[in-house]
Amino acid sequence: MSERIEVHHVTRVEGHGNIVVEISDGQLKECRFDVIETPRFFEAMLRGRPYQEASHITSRICGICATGHATTSLRATEKALGVELSDQTKLLRKLTFHGEMLDSHVLHTYMLVAPDFLGVGSVIPLATTHREVVLRALRMKKLAGDICATVTGRHTHPIAMTVGGFTYFPKVSDLKALRQRLVAGRADVKATVELFASLPWPKFERDTEYISLSKPDEYAFIDGEILSSDGDRLPIEDYQKVTNEYLVEHSSAKFTRHNRKSYMVGALARFNNNFEQLHPSAKEAAQALNIKPKVTNPFLNTAAQVVEIVHCVEDAINIIDQLLERGISTEKPAPVNLTNSNGVGACEVPRGILFHHYWIGEDGNLSGANCIIPTNQNIANLEEDMRALVPQILDKSVEEIRLSLEMLVRAYDPCISCSVHVLKIEDRA
Amino acid sequence: MVNLNPQCKETTLILGIGNPLLGDDGVGIRAVELLAEKELPPYIKIELVGTPGWGLPAWLEGWSSVILVDAVQMGQTPGTWRRFSPDEIWLITHCDLLSLHQADLASGLALTEALDMLPDQITFYGIEPACLDPGNDLSQVVRSSLPSLIDCILDDIRKE
Repeated sequence: MSERIEVHHVTRVEGHGNIVVEISDGQLKECRFDVIETPRFFEAMLRGRPYQEASHITSRICGICATGHATTSLRATEKALGVELSDQTKLLRKLTFHGEMLDSHVLHTYMLVAPDFLGVGSVIPLATTHREVVLRALRMKKLAGDICATVTGRHTHPIAMTVGGFTYFPKVSDLKALRQRLVAGRADVKATVELFASLPWPKFERDTEYISLSKPDEYAFIDGEILSSDGDRLPIEDYQKVTNEYLVEHSSAKFTRHNRKSYMVGALARFNNNFEQLHPSAKEAAQALNIKPKVTNPFLNTAAQVVEIVHCVEDAINIIDQLLERGISTEKPAPVNLTNSNGVGACEVPRGILFHHYWIGEDGNLSGANCIIPTNQNIANLEEDMRALVPQILDKSVEEIRLSLEMLVRAYDPCISCSVHVLKIEDRA
Repeated sequence: MVNLNPQCKETTLILGIGNPLLGDDGVGIRAVELLAEKELPPYIKIELVGTPGWGLPAWLEGWSSVILVDAVQMGQTPGTWRRFSPDEIWLITHCDLLSLHQADLASGLALTEALDMLPDQITFYGIEPACLDPGNDLSQVVRSSLPSLIDCILDDIRKE
């Protein structure tokens, strides 16, 4: 007897991916996650463009991680051009980064994952069965977006961030208003932890290598070193020693591997590698969610995101306090030093470690670029998880196996592409 | 009702929807940019929202009247535009072209409705696109439809 489970276009993930599993006589014969997106050629688009445009072009790689791509892009350019950032620039970038992290994590935890646990197919019926939950998610998303808009001029695709600094600065009154809303938002954060602490996470363990950025003095989101849970610590310039990209037949996305057959990046990797640097309130949230490092259940990536929601809200309040104490200075962007050079930027965007590597000529134009996104780095690990999970749930119905696999894919919060939204209509008559 | 837009003073919101990097998908954005250059009544607020996805309820909540301008596939000649209310049509998610985490305008509106946060009056202006390939420019045929579209929206809001 054989069963073939195919889920085409897994829903509630970004972009297009198919699950293919074949079970024959109780044995797992085939297990793949096909990425069927077409390549997008952003690296080729960057060649020949002035360095000032790179962050605005690469921001468009993703409508969710736009600030993450822009920040990583700026760091790559700034490393290449020997730019030293002011403390104010670093604080403002961290603040808007937290805004995007919150926005993305609220989207994933509430809109994409919660429906699986609350017995509904999507967030739309959830709005009827758990109205307060959806309203809370929308309030939190709006606050997150307003953080980005206050610092960088708009919610998505930041316009005020530039090489060396900012072209626009938030008013003190705007920052005070944001602070007030963040403090009031603690009630929503508390309710979020309570909600996700009550969910029955699927039981599944598989140890893997967890890779994230790491910094000596803070929970790393921007810059730092590459840290593997297997013990290695590398400068970000050596990213290719970690990613080792390779091609497989069934995927248009490149796969990666480091010490083992695969590794995991994202909130769970950060949580496992940098737990000690989380805000005390975030550590309390981890306790409430009953997780502590090392967590080896990939479904708990979502729980780690909830912990990071707490951390980002508290750290955003801290950053605003520092900015208010210092006062906002309308400083000019730091100067660049144009020579033939290259630079690597690395950030922890919501889905994990992101690398941009640029080669810039004396004329200020890019001659080459390499971008390695977190979802690529996670796909090999996702497949390894699927291979380990299926034999444990073979006694379940095909429908239950299918749902478990979809939930596993969603736990990784994959961002397979960003695409157009187009409406089609039919007359009711 | 939880007010997500406590500051809103105007009563009619005009939203430009779409991705201006994908050819005619940006027509909604371009149309409201042109509208913003006109003399408008004080109760009108214009926003370029792009692809709001699940965030749509936060945009719509608290408004009594909302006008949405967007590229819409209606099976008409490219450049044709239509004015319609949500009651007149079914909104269908395009199978091949999905937006952020599969929350397109239709899903965003469905979520707003499920939350009972729909404005009393919603008006769509849909423009049939000619080309949705990557690019900043609108096609000639869609661009030439903009003046009559904007005149009609202006007539609409001045009647209110």
